[in-house]
Order: sequence, then structure tokens, then C-alpha cells
Amino acid sequence: MATPLDIVKKKRAQAVSKIISKGYLSTKRVYVGMATCEIAAGSKEVMAVFKDAMAKGLTDVYLSQKGCAGRCNLEPTVEIVEEGKIPVKYGKVDEKKAREIIERHIKNGEIIEEWLI
Amino acid sequence: MPTNEYVITLCDGPSCLHRVSREVRDAVEESLEKHGKSDSVRIHLSGCLGMCSKGPIMIVNPGYTIYGKITPEDAVNIVEQHIVNGQPVADKVVNEDHLYNRFFRIFGDNDFFGKQMRITLRNCGIIDPENIDDYLSLRGYEALAKVLTDMSPQDVIDEVKKAGVRGRGGGGFPTGMKWDFTAREQSDQKYVICNADEGDPGAFMDRSAIEGDPHTVLEGMIIGGYAIGASKGIVYIRAEYPLAIKRLEKAIADAKEHGFLGENILGSDFSYDLEIRLGAGAFVCGEETALIHSIEGSRGMPRPRPPYPSQSGLFGKPTLINNVETWANVPVIILDTGEWFSSIGTEKSKGTKVFALAGNVNNTGLVEVPMGTTLREIVYDIGGGLPEGKKFKAIQTGGPSGGCLPAEYLDTPIDYEHLAKAGSIMGSGGMIVMDEDSCMVDVAKFFLQFTQDESCGKCTPCREGTKRMLEILTRITEGKGQEGDIEKLERLGNMARKASLCGLGQSAPNPVLSTIKNFRVEYEEHINESKCRAGSCKSMLSFVITDACVGCGACRRVCPVDAITGGRKEKHVIDQETCIKCGQCFEVCKFQAVEKA
Repeated sequence: MATPLDIVKKKRAQAVSKIISKGYLSTKRVYVGMATCEIAAGSKEVMAVFKDAMAKGLTDVYLSQKGCAGRCNLEPTVEIVEEGKIPVKYGKVDEKKAREIIERHIKNGEIIEEWLI
Repeated sequence: MPTNEYVITLCDGPSCLHRVSREVRDAVEESLEKHGKSDSVRIHLSGCLGMCSKGPIMIVNPGYTIYGKITPEDAVNIVEQHIVNGQPVADKVVNEDHLYNRFFRIFGDNDFFGKQMRITLRNCGIIDPENIDDYLSLRGYEALAKVLTDMSPQDVIDEVKKAGVRGRGGGGFPTGMKWDFTAREQSDQKYVICNADEGDPGAFMDRSAIEGDPHTVLEGMIIGGYAIGASKGIVYIRAEYPLAIKRLEKAIADAKEHGFLGENILGSDFSYDLEIRLGAGAFVCGEETALIHSIEGSRGMPRPRPPYPSQSGLFGKPTLINNVETWANVPVIILDTGEWFSSIGTEKSKGTKVFALAGNVNNTGLVEVPMGTTLREIVYDIGGGLPEGKKFKAIQTGGPSGGCLPAEYLDTPIDYEHLAKAGSIMGSGGMIVMDEDSCMVDVAKFFLQFTQDESCGKCTPCREGTKRMLEILTRITEGKGQEGDIEKLERLGNMARKASLCGLGQSAPNPVLSTIKNFRVEYEEHINESKCRAGSCKSMLSFVITDACVGCGACRRVCPVDAITGGRKEKHVIDQETCIKCGQCFEVCKFQAVEKA
């Protein structure tokens, strides 16, 4: 009979494949902070910009929310993780900045230095 | 400013590298210079990385290659092979993959995170808290499975004991002993409680931990239930945290669906269920006996201990209560072993502690550091120092129950013993930095106001003592202090400390007594000279307009009581009789012509 450990390991394998099927291996992974304080600072609106862009055809992006990373004075935060590169973290992102991040960073690969944390 | 082709992280932790870090760093810098890489590679010094046995450590990111036991020669070699030629130096690579250090891949390249070590918060800010797959993919519920597969309840308790972890709710009682006591009780029913009633002003560790990674807390609680033989767990959380509650509910539902909760968990003969109880948000309900009363449906008031909840807790049954952070440490202790956990921290305080860093500091936020990190490192390295070049005045640790420590305590290592010796406490982990503009009498009054409001009123020392102390403090800040007030405050404070029933009253005088001890001269100035050196007590303050005034009229227009007169381009004057000292003229003046006197 399968031990609890066997069961959990199987669950993990399933979870990983489920995450991958949602596009985790896309070139860019975008994480938007969505803890209470981030939401209060406006991260829901930022999330909506990214969702909207994906609905309108932005591809090769894996979008996910995350909890508090602790940067209270720089919220809302957006991270862009790309395999083989240093992760990029933007602070105080609003809707306008989010749209620009999509155009400049996600589509053109330009890191917007002045907004980096 | 170097671009980010690579980031090299060098461990600068006190236990392993301090003595050689300079040589290694020099070697790396010289080598980068030699190969023309100085502009594209950033060097970053981190705090303890929890791999002291393999230290000194050097991490090359991206790729997150960890090198261990490096000498300056190795460092040069790594730069040449890895950074210049793109070939990792295989024989120096450490393959240890501790649970905690994945955050380092994403966040470890700056001072704010680099000096931290996130065990409790290992998944916070990394995973989607509403998706159990994210948690499972990072070895989630593996600790529970390991426990159910090949550990007896006693093995689990022994592992927690070995870890040396102490209660993170503030008291610092050894967790393993608490578990042991509860396990030894014989009863048909036992309970496990997670204390998520976080009431300190300025503290948000528990909320953030639950919002960022709810499954970790649940997993810890299920393991705790197995260890002590309980079949029921309760998360007591205040209703003011709707998002945390929502995410907990989702996590519980998902855990049930996956068979981590309910009958015969993962096919074992252990059955356990969890539910959430909402608190109305009373500070005293963080005290364990008051919390139990609240869950039972009575008014949240403490009762004398013993009997301790481990003997007679919820509905008179043996009950194991731990704080959110304590529970979140449990899965790590099981997977990374108690022995590893106990290698982090100081002699008597093991592991890490989460702090909510707030106040007059550049980087406010949630930080988790190994025990033994100094207050200076938190304020200046992680916190980035004080804004506007202001001078450091004091740091309040432990929330309203803690003490205010002046600059000479900045090098105090943070653990239960050292903070207590300095006259403060670890508490739940609020940490407020204050600059020169903070009046310490006013600060003491603020915290006492809070505890006085939150006193449940059951015992006289707390109910009356804090009330009288607050009256005296109010009088002093209003410029009506009397000879002997300081002594009266000390006497009342010591009485409340000794005679109160629970921690609320016992610790309520701490901000007052610690500010008297460390900043007595400010109290004396208030009482004897009607002077507030920080310029924050309004009654002792007057605003005057200096010759720098250009007569722009901004202050005149903003004054709510028309106390300011003066024509255009003429120096303005404030009528001190009419002035209500609201300070709006001070705020609005662009020429620094309004001064506090």
C-alpha cells in the first residue's frame, strides 16, 4: 500500500504538471503582490492591466499573484522572472506603469531601470 | 552602477565568514576588474545563509549556484570559470537545498532581503497563496506525510525539542516542552489552537504570513495535532483580517479535498479537522486563557494560571496553543531536521524571528532575520537607515508591551535574553524606529493609552494602575507635570507589573518604565522647565516667524484661527494668544521662516 509520503510525492508531481500546463514555462513569469496592504495600495488595478493584456493576446507570459514580500513602502510590487536572468522587481507600480512594463519590458525586453527596487 | 548580468552573493554572517570575507571580497573584486566585468556583475553581502558548516559561501545568480568552503583562490577561479567562461566550477558546488532559501533566488540580491533569512516566510511573496498546487510543488505537506509515514508522535516532539524553537508569540516558552506537556495528559479529547489574534499597533506579521502562505500554518497545526493526539484544531483569528480569513478558508477546503484533513489523513489512522473562529479584535484575547474564553463563547478575560491550557484548556480539555509563526516553523523543522534548525540563531534562542519594521526608517516592511542579528543591522542594513538624515533616537521592540531602547543598545543581538537584559522584550515582533523628533513622554503615553483602552478590567492593578499612569502622563505632556510624578509613575508601574493577572497588565508599564530609565531627562525637562525637546508636545510649543519670511501669505491663508497678520511682501507675525498650535503654518511655509520654539 502507498505510504502517505508516496501519496504526497505523487500529488506534487501532479501539481507541478498542472502549473506547467498553465504556462509556467513561458518565457516571462509575472507576479503581482496581492496581500491586504498591496491591494490597498492599488495592486488589484495593476493585476487587471496584466489580465486584460493577456486576454487581448499577450502571449508567453505566466501571470500569478503572490502574498506579502515585505516591501511596505514600495507597494504595489511586480516581479518579472525569466529563466537564466536576474529577477526584476518593480516598486510603486500603478496602471500606467503596468502598461508601460508590458510594452517596454515584456514585449521589448527592456528593463526600466528607474522603477527598479 | 553595475548592470545585472550576474549577482555574486557573499555570505557575511557572523558565525562563519566575518573574518575572511574581506579577503574573498577583495579577490572577487580584483578578478572582476581584471576581466573587465566590474560593470556587469554586482557583488552583494548577505547575512547568515544557514549553511554555516559549508561556509564561507558564495552564490552566483542567475542559475543560483552555491559554492561552499571557498578560499580567495577559489573565488578567483569561480570568477574566471563561471562568470567569464560560463562554466560552473563543479567540485566546489554545494548541493544542499534547504527549504528556506528559494526566496534568495528571487529576492536575495539586495540589502533588504540579503541580510534576511526567511524560514517562517519562506514561501511568502513567492507562491500564489490561493493555489494549493503552488504549495505542493515546493514540498508542501511533505513534512506531514513524513510524520505519518515514519515518525511516532514522540519522534515529532523530540524533533521539535531538538530544534530548540521557542514560542514566537512573545513569551518565548520552549515549544517542544509545551508539546510534551500536552501530549502527556490523558484525555478523550484534546485541542490544538493557532493564536492568530494579532493586536499590537504596527504589527502585521501574522496577517502577512497567513495571507502569503496559509498552508504552512495548517500543515504545522496538523503535525502538532498528531504529536499530542488531538483530533481538532482551531485557528483563532480576528475578524479585521478578511483577506487572511478568506485565504485560510480556501486553504482548509483545498486541504480537505486533498485528504490532508478529515478522516484517516493520507490513508493513515490519524483523523483531524480544523476550523476557524473569529475574534472581535480585542488585544487581551491574544493572551491564551482569554483566547480560550473567547472561543468558548464567554467574554475574553484571562484567568490565573496554573492550571495551564496544556492541562486544562478549551472546554477543560488539554489544549496546545501556539502562535502563527511558531506553527509555520514546524514543517521546516521536520523536513530540514531539528538539528539544522538549532544551528541558526544564538545559544538560547534558535531559528529566526519575523519583525514588522515601521516608523522613521527608509525601508518599512516585514523582515525575518536569524536570532542574534543586531538592532543596528535591522535599522541600517535592512531598514536602510532613517529618512531625511535624521538622527536615531530610540527603537521600540515588542509592541505596546515592549520597551524603548536608545542608541547605545543598537548593537544588542536580538534574542529573548539580550532584549530582556536591555529592558525590552521580543514580544510578537513589532519594531518601531523613532527619530529625534519623537518625544519619549508622548510615545510612552501613546502606548499606555492603547493598553489602557484594551485592558479587560478584570484585575485592579491593570484597570486602575494604567488609568492613573495615563492621567499623570497626560498631565506631563500638557505642561502640568508635578514634582514627584516620575517616582509615582515608577511606583505604579512596578505595582502593575507585579500584581496584574495576565501579560497585558504585567507588560503595560514597560514603555513608561523603559523611557523613564533611558530618557529620564526628558521627563524632567517636561515637568521642571515645561520644555519638550522634540517639539511634539503642543502645549509647550510656540510657533514664531523669523526674518526669512518673504510675506507670501501662505501661512496666513492656511491658519484656521486667523492668528497670523501681515501685508504682502511684509514679514508676518503670529499672535500667540490666538494661536492653537496646529502647526499648519510650519507645514505650509516654503521658506523655512516658521520655527518651532
